Amino acid sequence: MSGATGAGRRWLVLAVGLALFVAAVVAVRSWPAADSDVDAVALAERVQASTDEPWSGYAVSRGSLALPDADRFSSVGDLLGEETRLRAWWRGPDVWRVDELRTAGEVGLRHEGVRTTEWSYETGIAEGTAERSRDPDVRLPRTVDLLPPELARHVMAGVRDDEVSRIGARRVAGRDALGLRVTPSLEQATVRHVDVWADAETAVPLAVEVYGDGDDPVLSTAFAEFDDATPAASTVAFDPPDGVVVEDEEVLDIVDAVSRYAEVAPPGRLAGLPRTADSSGAVGIYGRGVTRMMALPLDDRGAGPLREQLALTPGASVTPERTVVALGPLGVLLTDDGSGGGWLVTGPVTTDTLERAGRALTPTWAFMTTALEAS
Amino acid sequence: MIRVELVKLLRSRRTWVTIALIDALPVLVAILLAVTGVGPRPGSGPAFLSAVLTDGTLYPLAALAMVVPLFLPVAVAVTAGEAVAGEGQAGTLRYVLIRPVGRTRLLVAKLVAVIVFALLAVVVVAVTAYVVGVTLLGQQDVTTGTATFSGTSLTTPELVARTLMSLGYAMLCMLGVAAIALFCSTLVDTPLAAALGAIAVLIASTLLLTLDAASALHPWLITRYWLAFTDLFRDPIFWRDILRGVGLQLLYVAVFLGAAWANFTTKDVTR
Repeated sequence: MSGATGAGRRWLVLAVGLALFVAAVVAVRSWPAADSDVDAVALAERVQASTDEPWSGYAVSRGSLALPDADRFSSVGDLLGEETRLRAWWRGPDVWRVDELRTAGEVGLRHEGVRTTEWSYETGIAEGTAERSRDPDVRLPRTVDLLPPELARHVMAGVRDDEVSRIGARRVAGRDALGLRVTPSLEQATVRHVDVWADAETAVPLAVEVYGDGDDPVLSTAFAEFDDATPAASTVAFDPPDGVVVEDEEVLDIVDAVSRYAEVAPPGRLAGLPRTADSSGAVGIYGRGVTRMMALPLDDRGAGPLREQLALTPGASVTPERTVVALGPLGVLLTDDGSGGGWLVTGPVTTDTLERAGRALTPTWAFMTTALEAS
Repeated sequence: MIRVELVKLLRSRRTWVTIALIDALPVLVAILLAVTGVGPRPGSGPAFLSAVLTDGTLYPLAALAMVVPLFLPVAVAVTAGEAVAGEGQAGTLRYVLIRPVGRTRLLVAKLVAVIVFALLAVVVVAVTAYVVGVTLLGQQDVTTGTATFSGTSLTTPELVARTLMSLGYAMLCMLGVAAIALFCSTLVDTPLAAALGAIAVLIASTLLLTLDAASALHPWLITRYWLAFTDLFRDPIFWRDILRGVGLQLLYVAVFLGAAWANFTTKDVTR
């Protein structure tokens, strides 16, 4: 009898101890955030002015877009379709370091002035090289674009006062973060809204969530650790390890290559969206804020593998003139000029917008449709 | 009491056979790498394995990354599962308990013995891996040092210190498995059932970690931070997951050793 009582008492001690621990965890996690009475427009201005603020931190981004795995675009699929763990040190827009953490190494970007050096541990050790390139005017997304402050900067570029509203406050990385909702007003938009959570003290965005049609964000990124102290210059600089040579690369990626070498001029307006100053060479960027669309001319070597992968993507629509697919809010259209090449038009815009853009960019579109119907 | 358990552990032929079996995998992999010269493609395979072809001094870490996910915890689960249920099955438990020691002390002594087993296994794997690494695989000039994941140079003393910290961390990660197996060992009558109980928890944890729907549970799963020792090779060292890993193991020890204590100290022992 006393044994049974003793056992009961011991199990009770264990249960109470565990309950106290769980209660402490729940209390810390549900600690309320202190809100501010700052209005949406003023907060948006503070956020836009925070790009010079120094900080360092650890952020995790999660994307749910299942992009086709097409050769020269595969890095975009990884960024927008998977979880990415990032450690970053930001002295300012001109000097920063971002490391993508992987179980078996890391891929780091070190930026200084107009050049960025990419260090990939396993490749770097095996080949004894790191790659440095001049910052191109246009490029594919890189890990740095997934950091909450950078994603927020892209989302809020050109945002209008009537597109922002306040959504309370929450705790992010142990700090009070003020909520700002950006609701695109352009009819071409497929993103329903973007929630930006900015640090109450510095206005640096601590978390960003991009919503399509569903209740869950299609892309989210948030700091798990954040420090607003200026990181040391020695932490940010890249001093290659012994035996490693920094090689200068002429071209960063396919978008950079096309913008510099393709002899085509994108139109000044496409599907009702004006071309922006971010456009470069043959690559046109249209729209503003999160409603941005890129038009990129590709030759048959660039377009062929991408077209094949797009056609295999669930929900893809294929006609002789174009292959088009909507991946959540992200639309992708690739035209066919008859010789294998074509225009890649992509962005968080409706498929109608993409179709209009495709027609405008492909003079033979109408002819091909007529020829198909005749046959 | 602890001394008795340790002597029993070290004199057991099974202890050394188990450690030799754990050690066999990294040795086999080193031989295959040395013979073929073909490492895993960068970005694939266990941590450090693609780098050891140029720097064999990293092989203890690659070996650790190979044995920590499965071989080592299974061996720890078998050893800890044996602790109480094994004595019960052999009919020696009632004689052990006749000695003037409390059952709580017996449990702690059993846990310490299992941890010493894990430490021995980790040290043997590391030493063997270092020897085969520098003799069979790439040998980096010690004056040039080794690179961290972040592309900074590590001096030999820094490399040794971080490797030792990795070994200590791997050993700590086995604490939770040992506590679970020890608890199971107080619940059932056969060591096999106790070991299988702990292994089932490990398999469930590994499976849930691959499931996005279980992401809320991930920070609490026992295997979640096991490979975080690789974060010691970032510059600056990334302490977040390492500290969480240590805390989580201590939590598992507190809960399951507590459960073992609650169950065993009043258990009716008839054999």
